[in-house]
Amino acid sequence: MAGLVPPGTAIPADASKTAHTKADEKIDYMNLPCPIPYEEIHREALMSLKPETFEGLRFDFTKGLNQKFSLSHSVLMGPTELPSQSGETIKIPTAHYEFGANFIDPNLMLIGRMLTDGRLNARVKWDLTDNLTVKANAQLTNEPHMSHCMVNFDYKGKDYRSQFQMGNAALFGASYIQSVTPHLSLGGEVFWAGQHRKSGVGYAGRYETDKMVATGQVASTGMVALSYVQKVSEKVSLATDFMYNYMSRDVTASVGYDYILRQSRLRGKIDSNGCTAAYLEERLNMGLNFILSAEIDHKKNDYKFGFGLTVG
Amino acid sequence: MASRVSLKSRGKEGKGSKGSDEKSTAQCLKEWSTWTMKKAKVITHYGFIPLVIIIGMNSDPKPQLYQFLSPV
Repeated sequence: MAGLVPPGTAIPADASKTAHTKADEKIDYMNLPCPIPYEEIHREALMSLKPETFEGLRFDFTKGLNQKFSLSHSVLMGPTELPSQSGETIKIPTAHYEFGANFIDPNLMLIGRMLTDGRLNARVKWDLTDNLTVKANAQLTNEPHMSHCMVNFDYKGKDYRSQFQMGNAALFGASYIQSVTPHLSLGGEVFWAGQHRKSGVGYAGRYETDKMVATGQVASTGMVALSYVQKVSEKVSLATDFMYNYMSRDVTASVGYDYILRQSRLRGKIDSNGCTAAYLEERLNMGLNFILSAEIDHKKNDYKFGFGLTVG
Repeated sequence: MASRVSLKSRGKEGKGSKGSDEKSTAQCLKEWSTWTMKKAKVITHYGFIPLVIIIGMNSDPKPQLYQFLSPV
């Protein structure tokens, strides 16, 4: 009896809800919200279903020198996989240290990471004006022909976003996404890869409300990707993902959960390939996070367990 | 038969390049842009992190050198 809400209190809440939905029915098509960028269309599903699992020990230390500038030191000791054709996974134990410098300003963001084997990961994001942004992403190595670079020019309009990108092996792409209703946005992309002489077209749509996000993407490379994320409560959200390649007849479906609790965040997923993964981030203290990561693939007999600590 | 054909075409190409010493502008442009890309790659590889550090150390409030070097 104590759990039941008295009926008198429910009625004013309902009345305010119906008044709100009547106002919502008159959609102002001239004032639609700006949509999510095209490459982040599956953002919620990716956050829940693809946590950054790792194997071995990971230690990250970020030292802030000022509000905008910080240095990061990162140590990673563990097996890294080598691509092998036999279907068995070949792992070689490696250890590396990564030094990073980050400069984060409202208009300019520069992130650079340098590894002990000479690889550099650089990311630049520069807001030239309120609407135009230039982003660049580069991975440079000492080995010839193994470096990649991608530059994007983004233009954000009132209820649309457009992007043009250029990559290092004569890779060009353009994408456009438009808000059609306050909940639905549709977009498309084209790309041309000069070196492989391939071009492709893709379309994507995203429907979101307060409680759920559903996205779908089709590309002429044969990929169909659908995802659905339901926010069950403030702390819990469930996600599911379906990827189908109609050229290679490859299907993967996965289901996962994401618990965002006060002191920790736990994400887990299970795949149709028999792969289970889980990722736990626990806040031990202010600025001190403990991370546990596990990925078990029974089909490939690949077991990855990792633990780490993040400071700062 | 195939090898004879390929030898003949190689011979023709050799004569052609000896005959005209001028490079076309498209080739010039390609060689130039490849040279620029290679230099830009080396400059970015060595200079990006120092650039970020210089920009960061000159932003306000200006951090001191000891803050940069100490591990705490």
